[in-house]
Amino acid sequence: MTADAPYDPTSDGELQQEFVEQWRNAAYGCFSSGHKFCREVCPVMQVTRNENHTPTAFHANVVAMEQGAYGIADVAEDYVHCTQCGACELRCPNTLFTGDFYRNRTQTVKLVKAMRALAVDSGVEQPHWKRWIEATVDRRNEPVLEVPVEQERVRDWAEGLDLATGGETVLFVDCEAAFFRTSVARSTAQVLNAAGVEFGLMREQWCCGGPASEMGYTAHARNFAEHNVADWRAIGARRIITLDPHDYITFTEDYPTYFGAAYDFEILHITELVADLVRDGKLTFTQPIERVVTYHDPCRLNKRKGIHESPREILRAIPGLTFKDVDHVTQWSYCSGAGAGLAIEKPEITAEISRRRVTQAADLGVDALVSACVWSERPLSEQGAKLEQPLDVIDLMELVAQAAGVDGRGVTAVRSGGAVAGVRGGEASRGAPEALA
Amino acid sequence: MTAPPIAQSDPFLDELRSILGPDGVRADKPARWNRTRVPAPFPVHRWADYAPDVVVLPRTAQEIAGVVRLANRHGIPVVPRAGATGLNDGAVPLRRGIIVDVKRMNQIREIDLVDRTVTVGPGINMLKLNEELRKHGVMFPDDPASYPCSLVGGRIGTSGWSLIGGRYGHTRDLVISFEIVLPTGEIIRVGDGGGRKIRKSSTGYQLKHLFMGHQGTLGIVTEATLELVPRPEVEFAAFFHYPSFQAAYESTGALTKSGLATLAGVVLFDEWKLRYLRRDDEAYIPQAENVRAVVATAMYGTRDEVKPAARRLVRTARESGGTYLGDEVSQGDWAARHDRYATPLHGRLRTTGQVVPMSWHCEDAAINYSALPQVMEEWHAIADRIIDRYGIFDDWGMFFYTNAAHKPWGDYLVEIDIGIWEQKLDDVNWAGWVEAKHDIAAVALKYGGSITACHGATREGDAELAAEEMGGGFEVMKAIKRVLDPNNIMNPGKYELDTAYDPNAPSPFSGRRTGGN
Amino acid sequence: MLGFLLSRQRPPEARRINDDVIMRFDHVYEVAPGKMDLFPQQDIPAWDTLRIVASRWDHLAWMHDHWADSVLGVEELESEADDPDLDGIQASGVPSG
Ligand SMILES: Cc1cc2nc3c(=O)[nH]c(=O)nc-3n(C[C@H](O)[C@H](O)[C@H](O)COP(=O)(O)OP(=O)(O)OC[C@H]3O[C@@H](n4cnc5c(N)ncnc54)[C@H](O)[C@@H]3O)c2cc1C
Ligand code: SF4
Repeated sequence: MTADAPYDPTSDGELQQEFVEQWRNAAYGCFSSGHKFCREVCPVMQVTRNENHTPTAFHANVVAMEQGAYGIADVAEDYVHCTQCGACELRCPNTLFTGDFYRNRTQTVKLVKAMRALAVDSGVEQPHWKRWIEATVDRRNEPVLEVPVEQERVRDWAEGLDLATGGETVLFVDCEAAFFRTSVARSTAQVLNAAGVEFGLMREQWCCGGPASEMGYTAHARNFAEHNVADWRAIGARRIITLDPHDYITFTEDYPTYFGAAYDFEILHITELVADLVRDGKLTFTQPIERVVTYHDPCRLNKRKGIHESPREILRAIPGLTFKDVDHVTQWSYCSGAGAGLAIEKPEITAEISRRRVTQAADLGVDALVSACVWSERPLSEQGAKLEQPLDVIDLMELVAQAAGVDGRGVTAVRSGGAVAGVRGGEASRGAPEALA
Repeated sequence: MTAPPIAQSDPFLDELRSILGPDGVRADKPARWNRTRVPAPFPVHRWADYAPDVVVLPRTAQEIAGVVRLANRHGIPVVPRAGATGLNDGAVPLRRGIIVDVKRMNQIREIDLVDRTVTVGPGINMLKLNEELRKHGVMFPDDPASYPCSLVGGRIGTSGWSLIGGRYGHTRDLVISFEIVLPTGEIIRVGDGGGRKIRKSSTGYQLKHLFMGHQGTLGIVTEATLELVPRPEVEFAAFFHYPSFQAAYESTGALTKSGLATLAGVVLFDEWKLRYLRRDDEAYIPQAENVRAVVATAMYGTRDEVKPAARRLVRTARESGGTYLGDEVSQGDWAARHDRYATPLHGRLRTTGQVVPMSWHCEDAAINYSALPQVMEEWHAIADRIIDRYGIFDDWGMFFYTNAAHKPWGDYLVEIDIGIWEQKLDDVNWAGWVEAKHDIAAVALKYGGSITACHGATREGDAELAAEEMGGGFEVMKAIKRVLDPNNIMNPGKYELDTAYDPNAPSPFSGRRTGGN
Repeated sequence: MLGFLLSRQRPPEARRINDDVIMRFDHVYEVAPGKMDLFPQQDIPAWDTLRIVASRWDHLAWMHDHWADSVLGVEELESEADDPDLDGIQASGVPSG
């Protein structure tokens, strides 16, 4: 068949061979299944309906590469189509029904990251990611758009709150919260204060490195990690509180692989902590919130970590609130589309995923969608604002702050809204790298 | 008959783009290679032989009609592909050509709660559809074990079997009418007679059945009007165990002949299946030694119907020697059957007991009740032979499912599950596999059964016997094929239907096994 | 402990259930690792095993709910003690993880 001349491995041949060797068994684990239980839960597939973007294809490509059919340059762009939400690998019977038994589960997210890394290492880069990562390296923080990002301003969000530096417990404030939706960071800090949790900030917080690792820039990811862990050690931190699920993933999945057994920090996610504070009576909700809301399970909490109960527990504890829940299993197939750089490289797909998510919420007859992932909130807010009956998108900590009677409003008020008024941001799409300059 | 391969720069691609738009045509290798196989056994070592030339992603019936007309002009094969979950290789191109991937056609076009129908595109999945329908208190109860991943177009393409078909019927009973693009590009609607929402008619020939299960050889379905049933108030699942297959077999007979209308399905597990389940299934690992065979039953309906019927069912099971396995096992296992899959790591090497990843072959013959024990013995013997000879196969036991809609007593979908270690496939052991597959199908015919209850018989090893099963009917099939598809462009090679055009046409598989094409 | 600590991610010591099956976490069966020489096991942290097991049960509950408003069990039928139809049914409720 002339159209299928054998693939000619060029300089990336050796890297690719190593990669195939490493992933061969995993690839056959899926290839020999091929049943596609993962397809309809995949948020990207729900939009593109293109089989190239399925976990099935992501695995089968390894087998095709093993056969010399094609190479990384042919498939790199397909692997952009993934938010690393984890729905597919959880829903895969090889995880859900037998992953625990065999201590071997489908690891599509890991495969996508590895394939992206192979692409970068082979010189096959995606233009927008490349510039995003370059800017992140340059500024030590992600170049979240529309706001100036500089290392000197990484604590600006905390202006006037008089927060300590260092100590046993550190609050790690994600780039999007530190620079863009600062109300999330302020709300979180003040809620912790109100509950009497002692904590400090890092001396010099850098990007967690998660996005770089998700996009395949492993060496950069590691540099960020080295810096942050060194900072934690220097200030005597033992416990890190994350307010963003992506950071929670990075600190519990990436960092342990970098640092091994020496990595002895307790990583605590804010929803787990706050639910516990409420349970123990250390945080009380004094202000009724007369609103009708539903909850968006952030993929990285729900699908990837199994954290879905604590946010619901918190919402149910807020007086006045009418909470119309959609169960967390149904939400395995929901997503905001914000993860793993999709919004940077394919903003139109992110926008469509978000549009569907806010429409699902609006169909419930709620007036706000509560999320617990700051990265989801920008695309969701954009689409919520476009609905005929605009829908607010609120961060759970913004809501908690209000219920606890503290003022969590952000310092960049235009963009970060009031605690509950939520963000009705404009077209803050991330797609245009020109805006990075 | 095979057209020359399409090169990436071929003007033919431009013609396709003019029909579908640039984002509707993909000719890159990953797009084509990833639309080559389905989960049916596949000679992975010969993947390249099967890759299509180009993939199209249509959105409308008109686009599909345009593609089909173009294909006729150029004599290029067309293969429809829906969910690509087929356990028969219907969606695998045997002569390259164009894959028409219908996944983008997944809209719900109408929900009619008055006349109780829903009209959809062929690319929609049943679970996703039912999530929407639930808001209205109704559902479309086509429930294969691929419920979360197969699509309506493929359900029609295969004439599928549903786990709860005893109560609600199977795909052919649940699809009221559909629109199809014929092999020459005309768009027609077929049903029982002409009414889009009419379930029973005596006008004309029964064309719905002709275009049901044709494996893409007679056209491409572009819209379907489906049955809506009330969402069940109650589900009842009860599993019973027995000290021997014979005891379970007899009990199965008693249960299926009970006449209980809410009985949705009965599944008999043989002793091989029980040994296999004890490998890794948490419900079966702790079971006592005397649990050698199992019968699963399920009922759906209103509480008023199901409760007394469930009592009666339990009594029948007990009186025929069954012991209840408990609510936890019954309910847990039943809930897992809507997306049941034999995962690769069930695979074991007979020599060392080591775990290796095996692909799943699921045989699906239809066999009468009276012949089940003999078929079971003969099939296991065939499996045993290839396990010993090639060392890459494994016997995962057998299920016997009630087969007919509303009449669960007479025939069974008989499934033997065989693991195949694909990483080790080569021409020699693949030929051994095909021979075994052929022998398995021959046993089904020997006992007056059918090669396939739901997957289709186009697989290598089956296809050679389809003509024998159909008898004189195969001549009618060929005549129909010739008339509807004069240029043999729809899924050519399948069912050996090339012989409709040339009595001496070679088997599409014969060249491959010996290494040429 | 609410949070993640790497040192707590090692699964408990294995107990043997039979020749082919072991158990580390209560009610969670695992293959005897000796069977996984050709297809190696992964280093799965404790949290992940527990997540998979919990998700499985959540998924099965979801499936029941997807198909019908409620699930009727033999135990419920049996609890209506005066029902002569049900005399002598043994519900051997099996403890499976
Ligand atoms: C885990 C698992 C469990 C399964 N359990 C069952 C079961 O219980 N019952 C059962 O019946 N099957 C079962 N199957 C097999 C498979 O799911 C069915 O055969 C299903 O009907 C195939 O649908 P699909 O959408 O995947 O079709 P595909 O595999 O894409 O196609 C199937 C056939 O239909 C043709 N086709 C596809 N779309 C169209 C169209 N629009 N118009 C005309 N022809 C078309 C194709 O050419 C092909 O010949 C199972 C499969 C798996 C993987
Ligand atoms: S990722 Fe899992 S569910 Fe998807 S096709 Fe592969 S094995 Fe099947």
